[in-house]
Amino acid sequence: MTKEQSTDAGGIRVRGLSKQYGRVKALDNVDLDVRAGDVFALLGPNGAGKTTLLHILCTILRPDRADEVTVAGHDAIRHSLRAREAIGVVFQEPSLDDRLTLRENLEFHGMVYEVPRSLRRRRMDELLELVDLVERRDDLVRKLSSGMKRRLEIARALLHDPRILFLDEPTVGLDAQSRERIWRYLEELRASRDLTIVVTTHYIDEVKGCDQVCIIDHGRILAEGTPDDLRGRFGTETVRVTPTDIAAAEAIRETYPTATSGRGDTLLIPITDAAMKAEFLRRCGIHVRDLAFETPSLESVFLSLTGHDIRDSEADARDVTLAFGRQGGELTR
Amino acid sequence: MTYIGATPVRRRIPVVRYMPGIGAIWLREVKRALRDRGQLIGGFSRPLLWVLIMGIGLNPYFRGEVYGEVRFVVPYTYVQFIFPAIIMLNIMYTSVQSAVSMIWDREFGFLREVLVSPLPRWAVLLGKILGGATIATGHGCLVILLARFANVPLSPGDVVVGIAFMFLAAFGLTALGIVIANRVRTFQGFGVFANAVILPLYFTSSSVFPLDPALTRAQTAVLYPEWLVLLVRANPLTYAVDSLRGIFIDFNQFDPSLGPLVAFCMAGGFFLVALWDFRKP
Repeated sequence: MTKEQSTDAGGIRVRGLSKQYGRVKALDNVDLDVRAGDVFALLGPNGAGKTTLLHILCTILRPDRADEVTVAGHDAIRHSLRAREAIGVVFQEPSLDDRLTLRENLEFHGMVYEVPRSLRRRRMDELLELVDLVERRDDLVRKLSSGMKRRLEIARALLHDPRILFLDEPTVGLDAQSRERIWRYLEELRASRDLTIVVTTHYIDEVKGCDQVCIIDHGRILAEGTPDDLRGRFGTETVRVTPTDIAAAEAIRETYPTATSGRGDTLLIPITDAAMKAEFLRRCGIHVRDLAFETPSLESVFLSLTGHDIRDSEADARDVTLAFGRQGGELTR
Repeated sequence: MTYIGATPVRRRIPVVRYMPGIGAIWLREVKRALRDRGQLIGGFSRPLLWVLIMGIGLNPYFRGEVYGEVRFVVPYTYVQFIFPAIIMLNIMYTSVQSAVSMIWDREFGFLREVLVSPLPRWAVLLGKILGGATIATGHGCLVILLARFANVPLSPGDVVVGIAFMFLAAFGLTALGIVIANRVRTFQGFGVFANAVILPLYFTSSSVFPLDPALTRAQTAVLYPEWLVLLVRANPLTYAVDSLRGIFIDFNQFDPSLGPLVAFCMAGGFFLVALWDFRKP
């Protein structure tokens, strides 16, 4: 019964999946179920194994060991070509040909995926409209901004009408406005067609609207459920404090060994009950410059599951470069 | 937004079935090449230099030279003699350079788009090589435009057969370029390596000097050192250049059936090696 549900045309079912790079376990005995029609988020810091998992699901990477990898009703390892017909992929790095125009890029994709000409033309117009790029369709791709490129890639991935759309960190390196726009398109897509969306991200605020969230770290799946469900099961109220100085921070850590460091020089302390809150203020009030009580949030879920704040994880080189560029870094202009 | 129904059921025979995909890859290669001005200028200026300067410059020294007992019997001027070889040179440069697009795709992510598509690897590779071979044949045809200046009279039939053979040779050389590109994955490395392959292959293909068929082996040894003769005879390109000479100026230094055979083996062989490399993740 459950098997039928998860292996139907739009779902994913993974059992006992492992992948190793040298001695590093990128994925360690992963089980995963994605229901058809869901927006499914894989949440984890950089290097958690999200991209490895996604590449295996997209059939471009072979796992070392797997009992089952079924994607859109096809065995992704033995019948990878058939699985590929049913999926659309937006990779983390852009994969457009920037010497061709927008239309030529879409045309190429349609031919490769065997979409008949008339259908191809109709879908191209429709999808360019969806991502607001109709006016730019005869421009070379190299003239687009990175947000526009990402939108074009989403349009391209949908041209052959896939059952599952994979997006690997679709919003990395984009400004807030473009990020918001991309999520709006994904919402629209979900409302208008029979599509399963699997998205990886390390931005917690982005997964709040997803149907299912799967938290992954060090190649293991730590928890899976709806955002509310996860908050209820693993969330704790926390207090986020900025200590007055290093000595104060030391004092707080001594009193509350459960404290962990958050972003910047803040400390995060889980609050177990109301009495603890009052006691904290009484004992540590003088050491604190700024504080905020945070109700159970996905951040705290992540914190309690992995033992660290998601933002702590080192930004990858690309992020650093992009951030540098936004600040007006000399080498990027 | 209206929802447009699923893609219809597909044809079954692989080669027919993947035709649009192979065509898409071919078309992309050709479009990119046509938009690359630098490559076009190179494709035109290179043969111009060889015909106008090298060819015409050496023309007076080519005939009637006597080395001891031996006398050349090549009944052609030097420009006529090297004209087919210049076609091959242009094809070589373009074929091997077109493999750069492979490195380009790997570097800039486009290869992913193709690898995650339902096209099998062999179809991707075939599309790429056909594209590269088409561009190279086009550059070969640029040289044919210079035939008048080289005093090479061409009949339409010669041109058709010539272009067919050029395409076959270009296919093999593009596949060779891709084999190199799979081993040297940076642009700089490829440039060095490609030049290290192209020029020696070209110069030892009996392109700029003849190995006269009328001479005995002993007589040849008077003219050229043994190692050079061996190199020329071992170079597969020698036979391809020889075939082009046969087609365009009716002059063969070797058995005329060797050329097509060698070109065919090169095309098949390098394609298989490239496919083998490509299968590995």
